[in-house]
Amino acid sequence: MKPIYAFAAFAVAIATPMPALAATIDAIMYKNPQCSCCEAYAAYLEQNGFKVGIKPVNNLSQISSDAGVPADLEGCHTLMVNGYVVDGLVPVDIVKQLLTERPAISGITLAGMPTGAPGMGGEKAGTWTIYAFTKDGKAPTVYATE
Amino acid sequence: MASAAAAAAMQPSSLRAAPVEDRRIAVAPGQASLTGGGGQTAVWAYDGTVPGPTLRLRQHEPVRITVENGLDEDTTVHWHGIRLPNAMDGVPGLTQPPIKPGQSFVYEFTPPDAGTFWYHPHADSLVQLGRGLAGALIVEEREPVSVDRELLWLLQDWRLTKDGQIAPGFGNMMDAAMSGRVGNVVTINGGPPADQKVRVGERVRLRLANASLARIIALRFEGHRPIVVAIDGQPCDPHEPDGGRLVLAPAMRIDIVLDMQGDPSKRYAVTDDFYDSLAYSLANLVYDTGPPLRPHPLDAPLRLPANPLPAPDLAEAERQEIVLQGGMMGGGKLAGVGGMMGMGMPGMNGEAAWAINGVSMTGDGHAGMAPQFTLKRGTTCHLTMRNQTAWWHPMHIHGFSMLVLSRNGSPVPHRQWQDTVLLAPKDMIECAFVADNPGDWMLHCHVADHQMAGLMTVFRVT
Repeated sequence: MKPIYAFAAFAVAIATPMPALAATIDAIMYKNPQCSCCEAYAAYLEQNGFKVGIKPVNNLSQISSDAGVPADLEGCHTLMVNGYVVDGLVPVDIVKQLLTERPAISGITLAGMPTGAPGMGGEKAGTWTIYAFTKDGKAPTVYATE
Repeated sequence: MASAAAAAAMQPSSLRAAPVEDRRIAVAPGQASLTGGGGQTAVWAYDGTVPGPTLRLRQHEPVRITVENGLDEDTTVHWHGIRLPNAMDGVPGLTQPPIKPGQSFVYEFTPPDAGTFWYHPHADSLVQLGRGLAGALIVEEREPVSVDRELLWLLQDWRLTKDGQIAPGFGNMMDAAMSGRVGNVVTINGGPPADQKVRVGERVRLRLANASLARIIALRFEGHRPIVVAIDGQPCDPHEPDGGRLVLAPAMRIDIVLDMQGDPSKRYAVTDDFYDSLAYSLANLVYDTGPPLRPHPLDAPLRLPANPLPAPDLAEAERQEIVLQGGMMGGGKLAGVGGMMGMGMPGMNGEAAWAINGVSMTGDGHAGMAPQFTLKRGTTCHLTMRNQTAWWHPMHIHGFSMLVLSRNGSPVPHRQWQDTVLLAPKDMIECAFVADNPGDWMLHCHVADHQMAGLMTVFRVT
C-alpha cells in the first residue's frame, strides 16, 4: 500500500491503538446475484477481521448511485461499513485506513475489476487509484493509490 | 404482378384476395399506473397504454400498420418473431430509415405463422423499451384450439425510483457489462400482479411473454402441471418443462396449457425463482367456490396445428459459428475490444463491453453493418452459438425461427423452434434454419444493454 499521505496515516497508526478495529467489523455487501468475484472479496474481508452480510440485488447500479458512487467510478459491488460506502475491490488496509481516519466523505471506490485485486485472479498491472467521493456534487478526489 | 399471382396461387383458395386490414399505432409519452395505489409513472406508450394494445392478427391475412412517431426522438417497430419481408423488420439503418419525430411509417406484412409474438422499438432500444414501449402480437390459429379460456401475461420489468418514476442511469456501464438493467418492479399486462381467478376443471391457455429489458424469469405454478405447447410462437411437442419450471428470458414467449385441478376457493402461488436468493411470489391462481366446470380434465389433444416452417436439410447444411465474448469476469476474452486492457472494466466510456467473433457492433442498427456471414437463399444454416462469457444471453435471430438441435452436446427434445435462444454461461447451442428470406438480418442478445454494448451481429441472405 502506498497512501499518498503515508506519513499522516503512519502517525495516526502510532498514536492510537485502533481499538475499534480489534473487534469484528460488521459490513453489508450489495452485489449482483450472478457475480462470483464479490464473494471472493467478502471472504477476503472476513479473513481480515470483518463480518460481511451478503445481499444479492438486481439493481446494484441504482444502489451504488443512490449511495453517491460516481457512475464512471463504480466497482463491481457496494459495501456499507460503519457509515461509509466502500465500492469495488478496495484492499483491506485502505478500508481500515478509512475507518480509522473517518474523513468527511461518503465513501471510497476502486472502479471496475482490476486484475490482481482482492477477489480477482491474476497479476496486478499498473497503479490502482482509490477515489473518495461525497454526495454534495463535488468532483471525486484521490484517496489512495496502490 | 406475375410473382404475386404465383404466390396467391400457392395459398388455399379461401385465402385469396383477403382484404388488407388497416391498423394505426401512435407512439407518444404517457402515464401509467404500474404499482397500484393511484401513483402515476411517466412512460412512453403505444396508443397511450402500457403495454401497447394487443394486436390480434389472422394467419395468412395481410395487415398494414401505420406507426406514428410522437416522441422527440427516432423510433421504429420490430415485429418480434414474425417471418416477414426484410424491409418490414424495423431495424433502423439496416432495413428502413428510422421514423423521425412527427413522421410515420407503414408496415405491411402477412403473418405466415400463428402464435404469440410481440412488438417493440429497435431504435434507442434500451431507453424506449425501458420506458414501456412493448405490446403483444397474437396471430390466431385458423382453427380454434380446444381450451375454455385464453389468458395473456405480458411481463415487464421496471427500474423505478422511490417516488415511482423510471430511474435514470440507462446505459450504466456496470449494468452493460453484467446482467443488464434488471429492475425492481415486475408488472403483468402493465399493472401490479393481481389474483388470477380460475374455476375448477377449466382448461386455460396462458400466453406468457417476457418484454423485460434484462430480467430473466423462471415461473413455477404451485400445485399445477403446466404443459408447454409453443415456444416463441412456434408449436412444439406438448411437454412438461424440466422441474415444472418455465424459463423466460427477455423477448421469449411460452404458451402453456393449464388444467385447473386445484381445490375450490384455494390460492396457489406463481413464483419466479430465477435469481439466487431473490425468489418472489409473482401472482396467485385463486379458485372460485363454484362447482367444477367438468368432472375430469378435458380430453382434447393439446398439440397446436403446425406452422409452415421450412424443414432444415441437415445433411446439406452450411455450418456457421458465432462466439459470444466479453463482459465482467470475461477472463480477458475481450482484450483489445473494450476497456479490458486498462482498468479491467469493459463498457467504460461508452465503449463496447461485448463482442461476437471479435467484432463489437454497438447500438440499435445502422447503415453499413458488414455481414458476419452470407447464406445463399434456400441454404440450410447449421448455426453453433458458443457463450464464452460468464453471463446469460438470450440470442435473438431476426426473420427466422430456428430449430434448436442440441445444448452442450445433448439433443434438445420436443421439436422446439425459437427466435430467441437462451444461453447460460459457457453454453454451446446448435440450431438450424432454412435461409429462405433474403436480406440483411440481425442476430443479437436481447438483454438490451448487451445489444447496445456490442453483442450483436448481422448476416446476409442473398
